[in-house]
Amino acid sequence: MPMNGEVDRRGLLKLAGGSLAALGLTAAGCGGGSGSGDGTVTIRYAWWGSDDRAKRINRTIELFEKKYPKIKVQTDFQPYLDFWKKFNTQASGGNPPDVFQNAIGFLRKYDQRSVLLDLNAQAEAGNLRLDGFRAGLEKFGEVDGKLLGVPVGSNSMALVIDKPVYEKAGVTPEMGWTWDDFHEAMKKIRGQGRVGDSGLYGVMYLYDPYLRQQGKAFFTKDGLGFDEADLKEWWTKGYAGVKSGIYADPKKVAQIKPKSAVAAEIAASEFTWDNFTVRYTAEGKSEYGLAPLPTTDGKKTGQYLGSLMLSGSKRTQHPKEVAQFIDFMVHDPEVAKIMGYDRGVPTTTAQYEAYKPAEEKDKVIASVNKEIAAYEEKLVEAGVLETITPHPAGADVCEAAFLRIAEELALGERSVDEAVKQFFTECKTALGS
Amino acid sequence: MGGTMASLRTPAAPAAPEKPAPPRGTRLPAAARRRRRGENVAGFLFMSPWLAGFLLLTAGPMIASLYFAFTDYNLFDAPRWIGLDNFTEMFGDPRWRKSVEVTLWYVVVGTPLKLAAALGVALLLNQKRRGQAFYRAAFYAPSLIGASVSIAVVWKAIFSDDAIVDRTQRAVFGMDVGGWTGDPQWIIYSLIALTVWQFGAPMVIFLAGLKQVPRELYEAAEVDGAGTWRRFWNITLPMISPVLFFNVLLETIHSFQIFASAYIVGGGAGGNACGPADGSLVYTCYLYVQGFENSRMGLASAMAWMLLLAVALVTAVLFWSQKRWVHYEEASR
Repeated sequence: MPMNGEVDRRGLLKLAGGSLAALGLTAAGCGGGSGSGDGTVTIRYAWWGSDDRAKRINRTIELFEKKYPKIKVQTDFQPYLDFWKKFNTQASGGNPPDVFQNAIGFLRKYDQRSVLLDLNAQAEAGNLRLDGFRAGLEKFGEVDGKLLGVPVGSNSMALVIDKPVYEKAGVTPEMGWTWDDFHEAMKKIRGQGRVGDSGLYGVMYLYDPYLRQQGKAFFTKDGLGFDEADLKEWWTKGYAGVKSGIYADPKKVAQIKPKSAVAAEIAASEFTWDNFTVRYTAEGKSEYGLAPLPTTDGKKTGQYLGSLMLSGSKRTQHPKEVAQFIDFMVHDPEVAKIMGYDRGVPTTTAQYEAYKPAEEKDKVIASVNKEIAAYEEKLVEAGVLETITPHPAGADVCEAAFLRIAEELALGERSVDEAVKQFFTECKTALGS
Repeated sequence: MGGTMASLRTPAAPAAPEKPAPPRGTRLPAAARRRRRGENVAGFLFMSPWLAGFLLLTAGPMIASLYFAFTDYNLFDAPRWIGLDNFTEMFGDPRWRKSVEVTLWYVVVGTPLKLAAALGVALLLNQKRRGQAFYRAAFYAPSLIGASVSIAVVWKAIFSDDAIVDRTQRAVFGMDVGGWTGDPQWIIYSLIALTVWQFGAPMVIFLAGLKQVPRELYEAAEVDGAGTWRRFWNITLPMISPVLFFNVLLETIHSFQIFASAYIVGGGAGGNACGPADGSLVYTCYLYVQGFENSRMGLASAMAWMLLLAVALVTAVLFWSQKRWVHYEEASR
């Protein structure tokens, strides 16, 4: 451009051309990661979780970029539900992140839509090591012979309890306790002026083990593994629990969300994933511990190890870098020291041994994490762990419907019969059967 | 077209007084025709940002959604033509009917209350009193910030368990609903309260209408001994009925489209986007759930067109009804 401030036609054209080129570059930058002249590659990584998780993940990414100076990682995160809405929209537009956090309920769904990268080829090429996983977890993300996700941390369903309240009520849950024992315990806790449970009737991941205790399951490979009579029994009991006041008032639980009813001291316990104790400890004032799931026969809990996974996008232009990224995140011992049990107990032996809960500076976190590790070890020893089948496409919609309709039932908006009928209608539509 | 162009052009070129515009039907000289064509091009060029926006962002998507309404479309696979299936499914879906119920209730209760509040305050502000400009601004302010997400978040906090509304209700009326936002029956009233609170826009329009009412009419009525109520009923209301009609029309259409406040005030409760037990499941909220949570864009498009038809129908009925109650002043003054 001329220095005297005059803009001539040629200068203007150059300027326009320049900005067009810049626009083109930005567009390329948005289009699923790009490579630049010096061989540096940028990959996009997205996950769901809290700020605390984001801080930890950003530190692990710094480590990764130090080890792989030619790979840059762009990050993005939202809460769980928002994450999936955004991901769905991005994926449908052909622009999903290159690598992202994933869960069992979404494998088939996004495999059917050709969104997920089969990581087997990268494993064979040596960019992703599949050895050194605990308890056969490397198979966790396998669907029909395709490796669609690599687990980063294992977790399992548990009864997360407010310890002092349970102690005061004189309740000590043992491995193999029954549902009758559980109901007795709820009544004792009610005597302590706190309700026992936050609303177990709507938790799909608890109803699943309950069904498994009877040799059924929530999902089969392509549909539902239970019938209307089963659900009627479960919800009749659940509604009775709400009416008698041993389960929390659903209105109160709904209004304090996203905070948990346990951390908000509405309920003394809640059925959820064991790694949630980490979150509750950060949210609440009390001391939180883990109790096993109640059983039907005094033995079988019907539970399995669940896990968050890392998956790649089929459309990524950098499958090798994605594989290297996943490999680093699941095997590097330093990563485990940063992440702790935030996403569950590390899945590889190297990472499991690298992180010692006792070495945490914060005594409360140390004790919570020790408890999680002990809980999962106990499950392995007791031999109660089953294998989980990857959910059919549409399972996420069923899970949301289960939670919502259970809440309507608890609020007295629907009768048990209506609720059951509505759930089957909605879920079957979603599963396309 | 020719006449309009000419009259538009004349003030634009005052420096070169031209011959008067040629009469209709005669051919223009070649130079003038060329210039006119040039002006047409320039006109379209100036319009082009708006035109491009309209075609790409409004008309195009609308036509596409009309097509999707008759298909099964999940965003990933190509849309599959299924005829009227989306519509039959919609009418058979109890959740859809619930969303219609919730929306109608919101419109039927919320709109009259909002307009009554707007008119009431406009009447107060129309009096000669000190500081009216301040009050006008103060009452208008909520409708400026009303559409924002932050207000809805604040609203949710105000109306939840043990918050100010809940405590007041308990203390004054001895009634414990345990927070409006957690109750399937009460949550809709927190949304209605939000829209009523934002009466600023119709209020300003009412105020403009009130200023137009000739003072002589009131003076004459007062001489005849008409009281305040009589004057309002027989003079004010008929005189501002065109403005009232305009406000009713605008607010009704607007109410049917409620989304943001319902989504935010009702959101997060039990992993449900539209309130506890679908208490704030307004039409657009259910549309959003079907489209973006259940990935059923075909069904969502069908729902959107159904809403458009319903609003068009209501608008038509309102227009038809104005014969009976809207008083347009004849040129008799």
